Amino acid sequence: MNESTQSGRDPLDEALASLPEDVTPQRDLWPRIRAEIAKTPIVAPATASPVQSTWFRLAAAVLLVVVTSFVTYYLTRQSMPQPIARTTPESLPTPQVSPQPASFSFGSERLGAGYRNARAELDKRFHERLAALPTADRAKVEKNLADIRHAADEISATLAQHPSDPLLQDLLMSTYQSELQLLANVSELPTAGSMRTDL
Amino acid sequence: MTTGAATHSSALTGERSPLSDTALVAAARKGDMKAFERLYRLHSGKVMGLCLRMTRRRDVAEDCVQQTFIRAWRSLAAFEGRSAFGTWLHRIAVNEVLTHERNHGTRAESDGEAVEDAHAAPLESQREFDAGAVMDVERALATLPPGSRHVVVLQTVYGYSHEEVAEMLGIAVGTCKAQLHRGRRLLRERMGLPEMNDE
Repeated sequence: MNESTQSGRDPLDEALASLPEDVTPQRDLWPRIRAEIAKTPIVAPATASPVQSTWFRLAAAVLLVVVTSFVTYYLTRQSMPQPIARTTPESLPTPQVSPQPASFSFGSERLGAGYRNARAELDKRFHERLAALPTADRAKVEKNLADIRHAADEISATLAQHPSDPLLQDLLMSTYQSELQLLANVSELPTAGSMRTDL
Repeated sequence: MTTGAATHSSALTGERSPLSDTALVAAARKGDMKAFERLYRLHSGKVMGLCLRMTRRRDVAEDCVQQTFIRAWRSLAAFEGRSAFGTWLHRIAVNEVLTHERNHGTRAESDGEAVEDAHAAPLESQREFDAGAVMDVERALATLPPGSRHVVVLQTVYGYSHEEVAEMLGIAVGTCKAQLHRGRRLLRERMGLPEMNDE
């Protein structure tokens, strides 16, 4: 049975193809459309507002902190020959933002004396252990620490503009925690005599 | 299937050059209502045809066309020109039809004479067609269940691909293929056409 038309096409396809795409509305719809759109200015194309771009930068900073922390953790774990007593971040004083007026600086000085003392102590041990690290590892750790501190500075600057933003406060705390974690990880490293040199 | 992207793109642009749409859109984006009216005159026939075949009711179809152009005006700034302006309009129109169906349900009875009346005075630009045969196809189309009808209209009359139709209707590509198969089988039955492989 020949199911195609003389042109060789499926008759259903031919029938559907014969349908006109255009159908004229019975009434002119334009006057009502014009009346409606006359009330509505076209919204200008959306461009990233300064606030949006700030948030984008912050998101990038936070991502950087996460990656940096992971890399540093991995690096320092590799440099440790055996488990040793460690100062866990949990045992460090938890950064707490103390209530301050909006004009107050949002740097780490807001975090209280406990945090500052612990950090100074950690800093000292950190620099001692850092000096013992192989050059390549030392450079990576220093870069990662610089990245974290840069992120903290950016978040802090933004928090100064939006002092009541809880998300920014959380981000800042999280970044300071990452900094502490990095300092602690490096400070936990054994002294130069027991360091692996095969890395 | 004989329809496809090539048919679709030529059908969408017809005798108009895509550049003319681009220039009109650019002018309309600056608030030129005359340019937008020109776009309405160029595209309202196809949008009406699509809405009428999807809704089967002239009054509803005209409301959808009106809303489509109002929404298009309000969203012109978001039109990035990645697709043809006509394609973009059709997406809006399909959304309008689906929204109307969600809000009002799909009525079982169709405005039986709506599409037939629409062919009483075809546009000069329409391709030549046999009015009797066209009305047979339109009647058969109008009897299809909504899901199949939408897919058949968008694919076989307006030439969109499975993927485009699936995206427009918010369904899976597999569902789209199944609905097309079902729709074509029902059309054959109702038009007294012989069975063929619609895969």
